[in-house]
Amino acid sequence: MALEIPKMSYNGVIKEIPLGKEANPVIVGGETSYPFYLFEGEMPHPPKIAMEVYDAPPEEWAQAALEPFADVINDPAAWAQKCVSSYGAEMVALQLASTDPNAQDNSGEHAVEVTKKVAAAIDVPLIVLGSNNLEKDTEVLKMVAEACAEERLILGPVTEGNYKALGAASLAYHHTIAAGTPIDINQAKQLNILLGNLGVPDERIMVDPTVASLGYGLEYCYSVMERDRMAALTQEDERLQFPIVCNLAKEVWKTKEAKLTEQEAPLLGDPLKRGVLLEAMTALLLLLAGGDILIMRHPDAVQLVRGFMDDLMAN
Amino acid sequence: MSKIICSAAIRGAHKIVERAESKYQEAMEKWGPDQELGFPNTAYYLPIIYGISGIAVKKLSDVKQVLERCRSLLPAQVDEHVWLPYLAPALEAGMATFFAEEIIEAIRYIESPDFYTKTEDPSNGNLWLGAADDVILRKRGVEFVDGTAPGFAAVLGAPPTKEIAVQIAQELQEKNLYVFMGAEHEGRTMSEQLVEAGVQVGWGTRLVSFGPEYTATIFAMGFATRAAMSFGGVKPGDFKSNLLYNKDRIFAFAMPMGTVTDEWYANAAGAINWGFPTIADTPIPEVLPTGICTYEHVVSNVPHDELVTRAIEVRGLKVTVAKVPIPVSYGPAFEGERVRKDDLYLECGGGKTRAVEWATTKDMDEVEDGKIELFGPDVDDVEPGARLPLAIVAEVAGRKMQEDFEPILERQIHHFVNYAQGLMHIGQRDIAWIRMSKAAAGKGLQLKHIGDILHAKFHQDFGAIFDKVQVKLYTEEDKVNEILQKARQAYGHRDTRIEGMTDETTETFYSCTLCQSFAPNHVCIISPERTGLCGAYNWMDCKASNEINPTGPNQPVEKGECLDPKLGQWKGCNAFLYKASRQALDHYNFYTIVHDPMTTCGCCECIAAILPICNGVMTVDRDYPGMTPCGMKFTTLAGTIGGGASVPGFVGHGKYNITQRKWILGDGGIKRLVWMPKRLKEEIGDRLTKRAEEMGIPDLLDKIADETVGVTEEEILPFLEEKGHPALSMDPLLE
Repeated sequence: MALEIPKMSYNGVIKEIPLGKEANPVIVGGETSYPFYLFEGEMPHPPKIAMEVYDAPPEEWAQAALEPFADVINDPAAWAQKCVSSYGAEMVALQLASTDPNAQDNSGEHAVEVTKKVAAAIDVPLIVLGSNNLEKDTEVLKMVAEACAEERLILGPVTEGNYKALGAASLAYHHTIAAGTPIDINQAKQLNILLGNLGVPDERIMVDPTVASLGYGLEYCYSVMERDRMAALTQEDERLQFPIVCNLAKEVWKTKEAKLTEQEAPLLGDPLKRGVLLEAMTALLLLLAGGDILIMRHPDAVQLVRGFMDDLMAN
Repeated sequence: MSKIICSAAIRGAHKIVERAESKYQEAMEKWGPDQELGFPNTAYYLPIIYGISGIAVKKLSDVKQVLERCRSLLPAQVDEHVWLPYLAPALEAGMATFFAEEIIEAIRYIESPDFYTKTEDPSNGNLWLGAADDVILRKRGVEFVDGTAPGFAAVLGAPPTKEIAVQIAQELQEKNLYVFMGAEHEGRTMSEQLVEAGVQVGWGTRLVSFGPEYTATIFAMGFATRAAMSFGGVKPGDFKSNLLYNKDRIFAFAMPMGTVTDEWYANAAGAINWGFPTIADTPIPEVLPTGICTYEHVVSNVPHDELVTRAIEVRGLKVTVAKVPIPVSYGPAFEGERVRKDDLYLECGGGKTRAVEWATTKDMDEVEDGKIELFGPDVDDVEPGARLPLAIVAEVAGRKMQEDFEPILERQIHHFVNYAQGLMHIGQRDIAWIRMSKAAAGKGLQLKHIGDILHAKFHQDFGAIFDKVQVKLYTEEDKVNEILQKARQAYGHRDTRIEGMTDETTETFYSCTLCQSFAPNHVCIISPERTGLCGAYNWMDCKASNEINPTGPNQPVEKGECLDPKLGQWKGCNAFLYKASRQALDHYNFYTIVHDPMTTCGCCECIAAILPICNGVMTVDRDYPGMTPCGMKFTTLAGTIGGGASVPGFVGHGKYNITQRKWILGDGGIKRLVWMPKRLKEEIGDRLTKRAEEMGIPDLLDKIADETVGVTEEEILPFLEEKGHPALSMDPLLE
C-alpha cells in the first residue's frame, strides 16, 4: 500500500498587504500554510528582503559591514539606490538611528529631509524605522508621516505607547504600520486589536515581533513567531493573520562576534565570513519561523538568503 | 423627547429649509445651474450632505435634489393636540436643517467671496474663518483620532460678559477641547468677546471662530462628518456608520449660550443625530433619558462656572492628567525606598498614631473632580520628627463606578503614595503607615500632595472605571477616629460581600491569559471561589481589569450549564477553554486535584500533590525551598506541571484559595490536607482554622504535618495517625 503523507489542515490565511507606491505595489503575505510548506498550501508572495540604509554615517560598524557601502555612507539616497540597483533590494529600510537622544539626537526635521530624499531616490517600498525611543519616535515619525504624505511608507516601530499618535498619522497620511511588541504574542495580538479599534484598516498593519541575533536569544523569537503563525493559520486567530517584519540586521551586527576583528579573535576566523554567516543564518531561521520581510545589511548575506529562498520555493 | 423642544426644532427646521430654498432660487436666477458650488480646498464637497446622503454637490443644479431630500425629511409642524413621541421627527428635522444650512453657507461663498478668510487664523481684520479645508482637517483630525484633542464644544451665541467667555474658553482649552464658535445672541458673539478680551483665536489656539450666524454650526458638524470619512474609512452616504463613529469617538457637544431660538433648537436636534448632546445656560426643557447620545440629550439651566464640567460629564469625556503635580520626583523607581528614623520628618500610623485610608463611592453631584482638602495641621505646621493621625478618604464618582471597584482603587494607594520620592507607605486600610523624609519636606512636600497624587494616578491608570475623584485628608484625632469608624464599617461590608459570593450564584467568571506568552496553552478561569493561582488576581480584580482594558487578558466567561457540580465543570468554561487554549484542552474541573484538574502556567503560589499512602493531599508554597513528602521540591513540581498541562494528582493554586470553600472540594476539600510548610501554616493559620470550624474539625491545623514532622510520607503518617487526621478515615482518594 502506498504511503500517504498526512497533511495539516489550515483554516486561516495571512492577509495580503500592498506596500509602496499605489501604481507599483509590492505585495507581502497571503500564505495559506506554514512557511515553505508548499506541499500543504501556497505562498503567493515569497518573503521580501529590505536592505538597510542609515540616516547618518554609522559609527562603530564592523569593517565587513561597512566595506560594501564605503562610498555611500554619507549619502542615504545614494546608499538606497545602491541597495536597489547593485544588490537587488526589494525594499529599503531607513533606520533613523541618529535621532536617538542617546546618540546624535538629530531632529525630526533632519529625519524628514533624509526620508524625503531617500523616498525620491527609489521606486521600491520604503520602511522608516525609529530609534526605539518611545517619545522621540513618536515625535519624529509623526513629522515624517505628515511631510511624506503620499509616499505610502511603512512606519515602525509603532508600539502600545504611541499607537494612537502614529496610528492616527498613518490614517491621515496613508502609511502602513509595523506594530512592534517585545517578543510577546499576546501583546502583539492586543496591539493589532487596538490598532483596529483606532480605525486602522487591516491592509495597513504588519507585525514586528522583535527579533534577536543567532546566539542572542533567537530561539525565543523563533518560538513566538512560530506560535504567531500557528495561531493565525490553524487556530482561527484573526488578529494575528498579518505579515511579519524582522528587523534583524542591526541585532546581528551589534553582537560581539560580528564585530571582533581577526587580531582580537583569531580563533573565530575570517571576520567577513563570520559576520555574513551570522546574518544569513539569523535571516534564514527567521524565514523558517514565518518572516515576510527581512531587514538585512550585508549584500553577501542577502545573496545567500535569496539563494536559499529560491531553492525552497522551487520545491 | 420633550414636546416643546421637538415642536420648536421642527418649526426652526421649516424656517431654515425655506431660507435655503429662497437662497437657491435667487442664486439660480443670478448665476444659473452650472455655477460651481462648494467649500474651498476639500475633496468632500458639502461634507454633511456628502457624508450622510452620498450626494456630491458640485454645481448649483445639484442643490435641487438635496432640497427635495430636505422636504422629504421635514416632518409636519407639530399639532397642539398630537401627543405622539417626537424624537424621530425632530432628529429628521435636525438633519434637514444641516443640509439646508450647508446650502446657505455654500451660496454665501459665491455671493460674498471674502466673507470668510479661508485661513487657519483671522486675517486682515476678518475674524470669520469659515469651513476648514482638507489640510486643516488632516492636521487637526489626527488629534481627534489619537486623543490629544478628545472632541469639541460647538458654541452658539455668547455668554453675558467677555470675562465669562474667557473663563469658559480657558476651561475648555484646559480639557484639550476645540471650541467651535458660531451664532450671535443679542448682537454678541463669543468669538468677538474673546478678541475684545485680548485672547488669540484661530485653529492654533483651538478657539475657532467659524462664523457670526447660527448656520456656521455646519462647519463644526461638517468637520466631524469628514473626520469619520477621512479617519474612520466611512463611505459617503453610509450615514449610520458616520453617525456612530462620531458618537463613539468624537467627544463633542453643543453649548448654546443665550436665548434658544427655534433655529437653535433645530441645530441642537441635528447634533443629537451625531450623539452630541446640548448643554444650555438657559432654563429650556431637558431631555434626560439615554437613547441616541451616550447619556443625556439636553441639559439646561447650568450656571456658567459649571458649564464645562457638566458638559464633560454629560458627554462622558474622560479627564487626563499628564503629570503628577508634586514638588518631588515621582515614579516606580522610588517605590522600595525606606525612610529611616534619623531621616524622619513626619510619621502617620504604624502603631504610633491612627492612620486609615478609604476609597468610597459618591453620587456624581457630590464630587468635584480634583478637589483636595486637608482638615488639620499639615507638614508646615509641625516640627521635624512629629507624629500625626491621618485619614485619607478618596471620594469617587462615575457612571461606571461600582462599589466593587472601591477596594481595587484603595489598594493602589499603597503603590501610588510610595512612588513619591521621600514618602514611604506600608500597610493598607486601618493599618496604614506613612513616613515622610526631611528631604521631601524640605522640597515642600505636604500631606495635601497625597491628594494630588491620588487624583492624577487614579485618572491615569483607572480612568476607565470612574469619572471624578476628590480627596479629603484629616489630621485631627477626633475626625480621624470618626472616619475610622465609617471605614471599618465599609471594610466589614466589603469582606462579607466578597466572602458571600459563590460560584453557584455568579454567572460570569473571568479568564486570565496573561501568561500565554510563555505558557501558550494555559488558560486560567477565575471564579469568586477559585481565586487566581498566582495570588495576584481575584475575580473582582479581573472584572475591573476587563473594564479598564476590554481587549486585555481578562475576558468575561459565561459559565453556562453546569456539567458537574461536585468537581466544578461548566459548559461555557469548557467552550472558552477550548478556544483560548488553541484546541489543546476541551475541559477541566475547578474543584479537584484528581480528575482533570485546572492547568497552571507555572506562576502558582502553591502546588498541591496527592500523597497516596496518607490518603490525602499536601501543598507547598514557592517560598519553601526544602524537600516535600511527594518527593519533589517546589521548583521540580513547577517544572513538571507548569506550562499549561492538566496533570491529574497535581494542581497549582493560590495561598488564599486554600481557605476558600471550594478548594479541592470535589476530593473532600481541606479535610484532605495532611502536610504543608510550617511558615505557610502560620501565615494562613487563622483563616484555615475558621474554615476548619465550618467543616466541623476546629483543631485541623494541629493535625496537619509540616517539615518539622517529616518530609516523606513514611515520616508523617505516624503523626497523622496519632493526631487522628480526618483524611485517614475518608474514602480512598484514588478509586
